[in-house]
Amino acid sequence: MAYTLDIFRFDQATDEVPHRDRVEITELPETVTVLDALEHAKAEIDGSITFRRSCRSAICGSCSMNINGTTGLACKTPVAAVLKSDRSIAIDPMPNFQPMKDVVVHMDPFWDKYTRLKPYLQPKDKDSDHATERRVSPEDMHKLVAVANCVMCATCYALCPVVSVDPAFAGPAAIAYAYRFIEDVRDSKRKERAAQISDDYLWLCAHCYACSYCPKHVDPHDDIIAVKRATIEEGLVDEPGPRHALVVAKTVKQTGMLHETEVIQGTVGRFNIKGLLKVAPFGLRLAMAGKIPPLFLKPVPKVDEIRTIFDTLEAPTLS
Amino acid sequence: MTMVMDKPAIKGKSKSAQMRKYGFFPGCVAKESCKELFNSTMLLADRLGIELVELTAASCCGASVLNDTNRDVARVLNARTYAQAEALGLDDVITICSTCTGHMRAANKELLEDERHMGQANAILGKFGAKYDGTVKVRHLLWLLADDIGLDELKKMVVRPLNGLKVAPFYGCHIIRPESVNGWESARNPHSLEDLIVALGGEAVDYAGKTRCCGFHVQLEKDGIAANMVGQNMRMAKDQGAEAVLTPCPLCHLALDGYQADAVSRWGRTDLPIFHLPQLVGLALGIDPSTLGMNKHIISPGLVLQEHDLAPAHVA
Repeated sequence: MAYTLDIFRFDQATDEVPHRDRVEITELPETVTVLDALEHAKAEIDGSITFRRSCRSAICGSCSMNINGTTGLACKTPVAAVLKSDRSIAIDPMPNFQPMKDVVVHMDPFWDKYTRLKPYLQPKDKDSDHATERRVSPEDMHKLVAVANCVMCATCYALCPVVSVDPAFAGPAAIAYAYRFIEDVRDSKRKERAAQISDDYLWLCAHCYACSYCPKHVDPHDDIIAVKRATIEEGLVDEPGPRHALVVAKTVKQTGMLHETEVIQGTVGRFNIKGLLKVAPFGLRLAMAGKIPPLFLKPVPKVDEIRTIFDTLEAPTLS
Repeated sequence: MTMVMDKPAIKGKSKSAQMRKYGFFPGCVAKESCKELFNSTMLLADRLGIELVELTAASCCGASVLNDTNRDVARVLNARTYAQAEALGLDDVITICSTCTGHMRAANKELLEDERHMGQANAILGKFGAKYDGTVKVRHLLWLLADDIGLDELKKMVVRPLNGLKVAPFYGCHIIRPESVNGWESARNPHSLEDLIVALGGEAVDYAGKTRCCGFHVQLEKDGIAANMVGQNMRMAKDQGAEAVLTPCPLCHLALDGYQADAVSRWGRTDLPIFHLPQLVGLALGIDPSTLGMNKHIISPGLVLQEHDLAPAHVA
């Protein structure tokens, strides 16, 4: 039974605005992948249809695109799984990227953030200093297995809502690669890497888990959290992000609750008049609506138990 | 990827919850800057005939932030909360905040699936005579409404139908993602809020922003970042005809209600009132809008409610 590819068409060399073409597929069953259908459309129907692809096996990461509004790998997406009720499939370029030609996008912002990390091992001595290969324990290697599966398809970057409003944010994949080297026992540049990724707005990660839609199940979120902890361990705490984390911990330890008033002051800086003035309009709106959080918070019952948990686990807080 | 399914999201499933007793974890925001959420939840519970037993000695869930400093501490803090629920004979812990839901469920999953984590937690809890046996289920009020009350039953309780009020659901993040932790409904295509809005007599507005981030967790990291995320999402909702927004999360509420004004220059005026989940349900069940705290919103819902004959003129 026939189905239709509803394809975004745009050529930056000739077009001012994009348009869409509908290509009917009659000779391929629904059991093929979206990439198979696109290959067929290009080979048999319209040779000008442009998309990236290489391995056809979800290893190279080239064919990431938006399929019915959901970003993923075309080579890993069966046609039958995404056919809409009208038997069409919408094919679009990944969001958060500028289209170049049809589904092909400019990947430079993504690769720039990756290369800024110096994504290669930087051991403190040379390989020639070692009589045998460098040994890594299975436990240490286990930490890196998941992120090693990243194929740099940029799906997580395309889905990231922070990137969509602020392209300065490094994005999930780059931070996951920072984790990959920060956690590698052979590497010697832990602090430099933490500082670099911190400069690339590590702390803008909003904990939204949009990157959990990773087609390779790398799921960078937990790696991002680990990199945040590494920046605190390396003493890179003079930023709103780490200050926020540390003051939240402080107020929870003191009262059992996240004390909103204290957290805002601690994050911005109690004597940072310019910073406090920037958050003032939001605070004034809350106040005018009668929503003033308490200036002082009474600790919850048995707060000593909570302090015992923090002390036992040696959890850092804002000093 | 492991799916954790408490119960499937079945539209219209009916199961009496009369006199059922639940552990209640209000979270920090509902006790601080969004007290109207706490109050409207208690009013709704009374109207539904269920008892919410507040876990008054519970701590913050970690709010996604404690993991940034020490991953173990949030897990053990939540184990302490679950131990309190167990000591009261309560298996269900009901939350009214998506962030609490996601992070408490994540902590519980780690405790239940890894005996080292459970052992660590109980070793620390033992210092003050507490113990967690692993019987607690963390659920959001939304799931209680859909599963334990049932939308068919809820529909029968509606005395003030929403009269076609066009409501855009805003799921946000932590009630749906990651699916390996939540999984109560599809994270990509959730529909529980839409089903609820329709059951209450409203019209559900579909838009791409409904499962995106509100920006609350990064509001203080960089100027304008949360406002931009709010503006982007509210623009999408407004363009699809929304008159108001419904959210199950007080953090989303604070961001969406508080930052729309800051997003005007880039995204245009949207001025969408943002309802807490128990406020909109309570309204349809006949509770007075002011009692529900609808006068405590930055963007007043008064005009929209009056246009649909849902509120008297004094709610402005």
